[in-house]
Amino acid sequence: MEQDRNIRVLMAKPGLDGHERGARVLAYGLRDEGFEVIYTGLRQTPDQIAAAVIQEDVDVVGLSILSGAHLAMAGKVIEKLKGQRVKDVLVLVGGVIPEEDIPKLKEMGVAGVFTSGASIKEIAEFIRSHVS
Amino acid sequence: MNEDIKKIAQATNEWKDKVVKPKLKKYKLEESPTRFYTPEDIEEFDFLEKVGYPGQYPFTAGNDPAPRWQVFAAAEAKESTRFEWGAATSSGAGKYAGFGTPEDFRDYLVRMHEMGRNAGPNFAFDLPTQCGYDSDDPRSEGEVGRVGVAVDSLRDFEIVYEAYTGDLDIDKVSSNFTANAQAIVIIALYAALAEKRGIPLEKLRGTPQNDILKEYVARGTYIYPPGPALRLFRDTLVFCTEHMPNFNITSIGGYHMREAGATREQDLAYSMAIGATYLQTGIDAGVDIDSYAPHFTVNAFGGSMEFYKEIAFQRAARRMWATMLKERFGAKNPRSMMLRQMGGAHMGYINATLQRPLNNLTRAVIGGMADGMSGGIPFGAMPPWDEPLGLGHSLEAQQLGHDATRIMIYEAKLGEVLDPWAGSYFMESLTNEIENAAKEEFDRIEEMGGFVAAIENGYVRQAIARSAYERQKRIENLEEFIVGVNCFAGPHELNVMTERSVDDVYSAELLATAGQRKCESLALLKKERNDKDVARTLKDLKSAAGNEEENLMPYIIECVKVYATLQEICDVMRDVFGEYKTGNI
Repeated sequence: MEQDRNIRVLMAKPGLDGHERGARVLAYGLRDEGFEVIYTGLRQTPDQIAAAVIQEDVDVVGLSILSGAHLAMAGKVIEKLKGQRVKDVLVLVGGVIPEEDIPKLKEMGVAGVFTSGASIKEIAEFIRSHVS
Repeated sequence: MNEDIKKIAQATNEWKDKVVKPKLKKYKLEESPTRFYTPEDIEEFDFLEKVGYPGQYPFTAGNDPAPRWQVFAAAEAKESTRFEWGAATSSGAGKYAGFGTPEDFRDYLVRMHEMGRNAGPNFAFDLPTQCGYDSDDPRSEGEVGRVGVAVDSLRDFEIVYEAYTGDLDIDKVSSNFTANAQAIVIIALYAALAEKRGIPLEKLRGTPQNDILKEYVARGTYIYPPGPALRLFRDTLVFCTEHMPNFNITSIGGYHMREAGATREQDLAYSMAIGATYLQTGIDAGVDIDSYAPHFTVNAFGGSMEFYKEIAFQRAARRMWATMLKERFGAKNPRSMMLRQMGGAHMGYINATLQRPLNNLTRAVIGGMADGMSGGIPFGAMPPWDEPLGLGHSLEAQQLGHDATRIMIYEAKLGEVLDPWAGSYFMESLTNEIENAAKEEFDRIEEMGGFVAAIENGYVRQAIARSAYERQKRIENLEEFIVGVNCFAGPHELNVMTERSVDDVYSAELLATAGQRKCESLALLKKERNDKDVARTLKDLKSAAGNEEENLMPYIIECVKVYATLQEICDVMRDVFGEYKTGNI
């Protein structure tokens, strides 16, 4: 029944970071790749993001963080999602993420981390291969 | 068409036919991949009208016939004094920096001064401070002291400025503040600090960014809707013009919009439109344009790797600003017409790559060369090559950047000729082209009712995002190439790295505990201060905020003097003005 449903992606900007070039470019790009994309806008709290995940019934949530607060922010969002007992949601992180933090994010439950130079196509492929 | 041009046009056609065509045929090309310019391209060119002389209207050839950095270049070299590049103009503050608690930042500044820093603080504030939240607000969790120093109250300014006393007191050094939505509070903090130190306000030198309009379309640290935000801008303009005549009013930042994705022409058009909106607030308040326009500065315009176009862009920007000030705003003082930039042409920080990052030094040198040839000042080889690796440049990367700039000045002698492209068929034609394209977009904004209207209807935000997406598509479709990213990235390429032994300019340990330490000191402050005074001054601010005619600067100074916090002040204005929210993609 759900076969024809497009993969739904929530692009989110947690925290106070106002750099949204990456988030918006990716939102446009994933849309053109055939996904349904919802963008939260700036300054979302982890609670707001978790609520949007449920309300929008998304398969993927992309957190865009360039402020250095990625460990704290990703951790909080994942914690809230777990607390909500929602279906499995693929959590991705993008932005300025120092290499040494990538394993830490993955340990928290982040499925993929995409930094500067990543292409829309490679992110789209990643999503397709991880959401069935 | 005059006779000479006719002859040249004929010769050009012959050249195309006899020389170019066979070549194109050989390579099976429809169009030539190169261009060659002739006098035909600037047929109507009037040198005096379009270029003029350095230091004279319309300033196409630059603002200064004898730039300070060139005048003192030899002396600086003989003394081997460390020169803070970029400090030579608008503000005179040193390298942009900030992290942790005020104590952490103060200690950093003391350490940098011991290592040769010779100019005032150039504040990077953390995001809570930029967005008008205190360190103890739940929204600040995880962000305190992260992208800059955390400032909640006058106590914090007092602590940072412990690094600036005696020969470095604030009547002698200049400060820079990257503050926008809450710039009025930051200026009030500085004024209150001066008052406490017994320094008259007219001695204060510095530059607040105070460029709120671009925040709605690029950088994102807005608080109030654009209308009230513009009123706060007006209040700073009027107050500073009257009481702080050596303090700049704003540092407009076209570069932020370019970083967010704007094209060259959009960047130029929107920057001019924003500048015009700010200038108009002074006119509307009945202030003489020549009393405040000289205190308008520009953070940096532009930024890209397209060498020729960035040079033309700088020339076009200076001419557009000068023309607008003279013709539209009726300025008479030539200083009012000068586009005073802290930086100049540069590579564009967004173009620094994470892949094979040492290549960013090469890119920065190319940007610095463009700067040196664009009639500007030597902003130099910026940013340091490790820009995309995370926050805080290593000292080694800074050293390489400084040295590259020195080599451009001392060995390549880039500064010997002012606006070296003046009169070039090619450069004059390209300058006109960029100016005309920007004017067209500028007029579109005017027709919408100005920049505030173009924020409110979502046009600019959308236009910038579309441009960013178009560029990304070109990169992914291999229509645009980035070395080491989408080409020449095979397994046989070497990832050359250099040592970054001094990469802990911002201590990770201090950063880890900054939030907690800052909340503790804020709790202590709230216990020690006189709450009645705080409540009284905030109440006065609230009633003044409700009256559009009132200037809020004096009220906010009263608030900060009794240690009301940044958020308490911003919350009062949130109550009166409301908060701004951006739309969807």
